[in-house]
Amino acid sequence: MFFTYLRRELRRRRKAALVVASGLALGIALVIVVNSVSSGMGKAQEKVLQSLYGLGTDMTVTKAAEPQASGSDRPRFQFDARDSGSDEEQSSDVVMVQGFETLAGSTVTKVGAQSGVSDAAGGLSLQVIKVDGQFTRGQVQQNGNGGDQQGAGPGPSGGTSSEPQGEVRGGGADFDVNSYSVFGTDVTKPALGPLTSSKITSGRTFTSTETDAKVAVVDSAYAKEKKLKVGSTVTIKSVKFKVIGVATADSGDSAANLYIPLEQAQTIGDAKNKVTTIYVKATGSQRIDAVKSAIQKNIPGTTVTTSADLADTVSGSLSTASSLATTVGKWLSIAVLVAAFLVAGLLTSSAVSRRVREFGTLKALGWRSGRVTRQVVGEAMVNGLLGGALGIALGLAGAYAVTAVSPTLQAQLGGGAGGGTGGGPGGFGGGPGRAAAKTLDVALTAPVSVTTVAIAVGLAVTGGLIAGAFGGWRASRLRPADALRRVE
Amino acid sequence: MYELRNVTKRYTRGKETVHALEGVDLTIADGDRLVIQGPTGGGKSTLLQMLGGLDRPTEGEVVLDGTDLARLPEARLTKIRSENIGFVFQSFNLIPTLTAQENVETALVPLGAKGKERRELAADALESVGLGERLGHLPGEMSGGQQQRVAIARALVKQPKVLLADEPTGNLDESMRDEIMDVLERMWKELGLTFIMVTHDSSIAKKAPRLATIRKGRISVEENTTNS
Repeated sequence: MFFTYLRRELRRRRKAALVVASGLALGIALVIVVNSVSSGMGKAQEKVLQSLYGLGTDMTVTKAAEPQASGSDRPRFQFDARDSGSDEEQSSDVVMVQGFETLAGSTVTKVGAQSGVSDAAGGLSLQVIKVDGQFTRGQVQQNGNGGDQQGAGPGPSGGTSSEPQGEVRGGGADFDVNSYSVFGTDVTKPALGPLTSSKITSGRTFTSTETDAKVAVVDSAYAKEKKLKVGSTVTIKSVKFKVIGVATADSGDSAANLYIPLEQAQTIGDAKNKVTTIYVKATGSQRIDAVKSAIQKNIPGTTVTTSADLADTVSGSLSTASSLATTVGKWLSIAVLVAAFLVAGLLTSSAVSRRVREFGTLKALGWRSGRVTRQVVGEAMVNGLLGGALGIALGLAGAYAVTAVSPTLQAQLGGGAGGGTGGGPGGFGGGPGRAAAKTLDVALTAPVSVTTVAIAVGLAVTGGLIAGAFGGWRASRLRPADALRRVE
Repeated sequence: MYELRNVTKRYTRGKETVHALEGVDLTIADGDRLVIQGPTGGGKSTLLQMLGGLDRPTEGEVVLDGTDLARLPEARLTKIRSENIGFVFQSFNLIPTLTAQENVETALVPLGAKGKERRELAADALESVGLGERLGHLPGEMSGGQQQRVAIARALVKQPKVLLADEPTGNLDESMRDEIMDVLERMWKELGLTFIMVTHDSSIAKKAPRLATIRKGRISVEENTTNS
């Protein structure tokens, strides 16, 4: 009888049922879309952040760069000028530690010994600027006698009035500047560091025994630009490194152009036993804040940056959309849901009012209040579930549409906020190759998780229960005599 | 057997207190047929609701077979209604979305009758009121007289001791009225019910063996020996 009565009533009041179900469906669909878009943004942000510090790293420890008082640390190149007829090429490269002051290698051990730290690995970011080309002297040309005399360099030769008058002509420089980033990675800790956010697409990665080997892994984009492949040789400050692998960054933007073993990087960077960044993995995500505090307290002068800190530095359309999803989207969903619940409740309650005689009669026939209430709640639940099913279908369609369109969002990292979060440009730990604010394009998707669908079903049931509670409460309070009297 | 002792019902309507029943004393023996009449607002329906356990008196006792309905908890009162009392209303009060058979079945639901048994009993009850061919019809597909017969079948399907009818012919034309009265009288006789009916119709009242008149909440009962 329960189901027969339920089915017939829903069929009779299908318009009202549709209104209730549609309201709930709209709210539930919004929750699914907002939830999945938020999740997509979270993934996009994660992807952006991973491009900086790699997978598995919970925080980085750095030492912020001191403001430079003079230009004494700027790279200087010295070349001797050659004769004008010479086609000899000269080359000079300068290797600088990038972005930060260095930390002693022993700090890595200290960090690793902190409570809550699962593992720690040091890394050294270097910037290499290489200048090569031809540098030739100018020719002094005498006025009047036509004789040529080689000058010491470009410009007036500085002759006296008693000597023949002339001017320097020709000479100059034709050179090429190549700037690239090198990251010294701890090959014994392959699970930490920026290389983890790249996949080896050709060759291999380092083995743990190659701590001081002259081998390099090259980023795929840089390899393409410089026509490098596995087996090629790259020279950094006169040291030749054999390319053993090509790595492609997951986000499309690599952390460095070249990766070499840490000890080699320390040697060529003249930074023996130094690191610029310590990559730290905590024993559990809930311990990250405690580990951060412990490191800051026990190892003074360091800056500890967690992924949460870095996430705060993300700006651009990704950040705007993300905050829109988490604020406007969330509140809009809540408002629509509350409105839908209220409408469902009021409509159910109003339906009970219209059926006073019906319920009064049933009570007169001996139906207990509980049975009448169950009938009302049952009808409301079916409406809720109907709304839920409709809402899930709508929500999935919405999420699918977002994923199909995949709007591109821009994420700016570290710009203007670097000093506060990572101790300098480069944000989280200042991954190699990040001397300035960084902009990444990320395609937005809206993945729908099982949890999201479960939430939707939960909301549908809640909506049904709320509506049923409104109606059921009214039905349970109905006294048969009042119900029958009211219609007379 | 009913025994009403000093039953008083007062309720407030706005600032006014309405005295629906004033010290009603009444005894109705098992198998009696009592017709209650009186002017509108005189307290007829209120008295019927007291007898049916749908309402409680402000004062006094409504005793059915030794149990005072006025003091019973709601659950027990509901049980007594479901087992012992059948109702027929002026407006039929059928559930519009349920068929004639399903409407009759609703009276068996509180008794715990299962599906097949319920359907069979309902079909038999409808057969007994001449609606054996209309089991699957919705109320909207039937005439007023047929709807009232469904209501009578619903009231009687559980074989109650008491049948309470509140102006059962009030919404029917003359021919239908006679038809329904014939059915009710037949059932009363066949089933040995205690049959209490409220009516405005003096032609029906005249035929009743006992006639109670309520005016301003006070009752007077007269025996009609010619019709008993």
